[in-house]
Amino acid sequence: MTPFQTMLVIVFGLLALACLTATLIGLLPRRMALMLFVIWLAGGLASVFPDMTTRIAQLVGIDRGKDLLLYCAVVVMMIGFTMTYVRVRHLRRDITRLVRELAVLHASEQPPAETM
Amino acid sequence: MSNENREHAETEVPAAHRDDVFIVIAAYNEATCIEEVAREVSASYPNVVVVDDGSSDETFAAAQRGARFVLRHLVNRGQGAALQTGIEFALKRGAQFVVTFDADGQHRVEDVARLLEPIIAGECDIALGSRFLGEAPNMPATRRLVLKCGVLFTRIVNRVNLTDAHNGLRAFSRDAASHVRITADRMAHASEMIDFVRDSGLPYREIPVEIRYTEYSMAKGQSSGNAIRIVLQYLLGKIFE
Repeated sequence: MTPFQTMLVIVFGLLALACLTATLIGLLPRRMALMLFVIWLAGGLASVFPDMTTRIAQLVGIDRGKDLLLYCAVVVMMIGFTMTYVRVRHLRRDITRLVRELAVLHASEQPPAETM
Repeated sequence: MSNENREHAETEVPAAHRDDVFIVIAAYNEATCIEEVAREVSASYPNVVVVDDGSSDETFAAAQRGARFVLRHLVNRGQGAALQTGIEFALKRGAQFVVTFDADGQHRVEDVARLLEPIIAGECDIALGSRFLGEAPNMPATRRLVLKCGVLFTRIVNRVNLTDAHNGLRAFSRDAASHVRITADRMAHASEMIDFVRDSGLPYREIPVEIRYTEYSMAKGQSSGNAIRIVLQYLLGKIFE
């Protein structure tokens, strides 16, 4: 293993460990934890056996393993952005609701003006 | 509505109905003019609700000098959200008719009565002001073009045939107002409002109104380049909801 591979394995290993601990103490929902764990595991495996990614890539018609990794990363990022965007929208709506409630609650009232 | 209606006597809302009318004004950093606008409106309709949309200037204090009710958004939530707040407040206070009115003084108070007339008469539930049916002295040519594009957009996307999609002067019956749900944070609420008019199935009418294109309202209003941003916001909102 090259030094870089060792480094990657350590990083992925630590991430997987963190993921496991977070789930055990109830910080992460189980489904989310499982998903993350699979990703870190795949990352670790890909670092140790780079040829494996090439074989999988060729199965789906991509030349090189690193291309496959890049494409996957892009797709995952896009999904992440979209999820964040939707989340932010919902958050904004919730804030609006709160702000509205407070505005109505603390409405200031002056005696009615004289109408013509 | 045809052109011959342009020359008509000023309509008046019967005094008995005036207390039932709530005028909702959303104001964001309008300290220089909100007091005057609110005073002007208050002279005819006592129940003016100004929603200060998290302004960083003296809008709140200025509005208090001119309007009966002043509400404050602690954080800026956009004009649509502010209008929704004002409408909900008005309904809570027993409003029978709700009118939205722009804070920059571009609308004429006299036009409010013309919008309310068919609603009070029970002929429709929603009345929308249209500057293209009325007269708009000093409307710049570029502004006219952009607004016309807005109308075309409305016709295609919202499938409603309106002559003026983005006029801030609107009147609602209590029933109609209680169904309004504006969620768009920014200016896209105008398109949302039109969706509402269509989906509600409530009878609506366009009323010619006059817009005063003053130097102030021109400087404060939407820049024409903003129109594209509003369209994008609206479409994105449709996709992601």
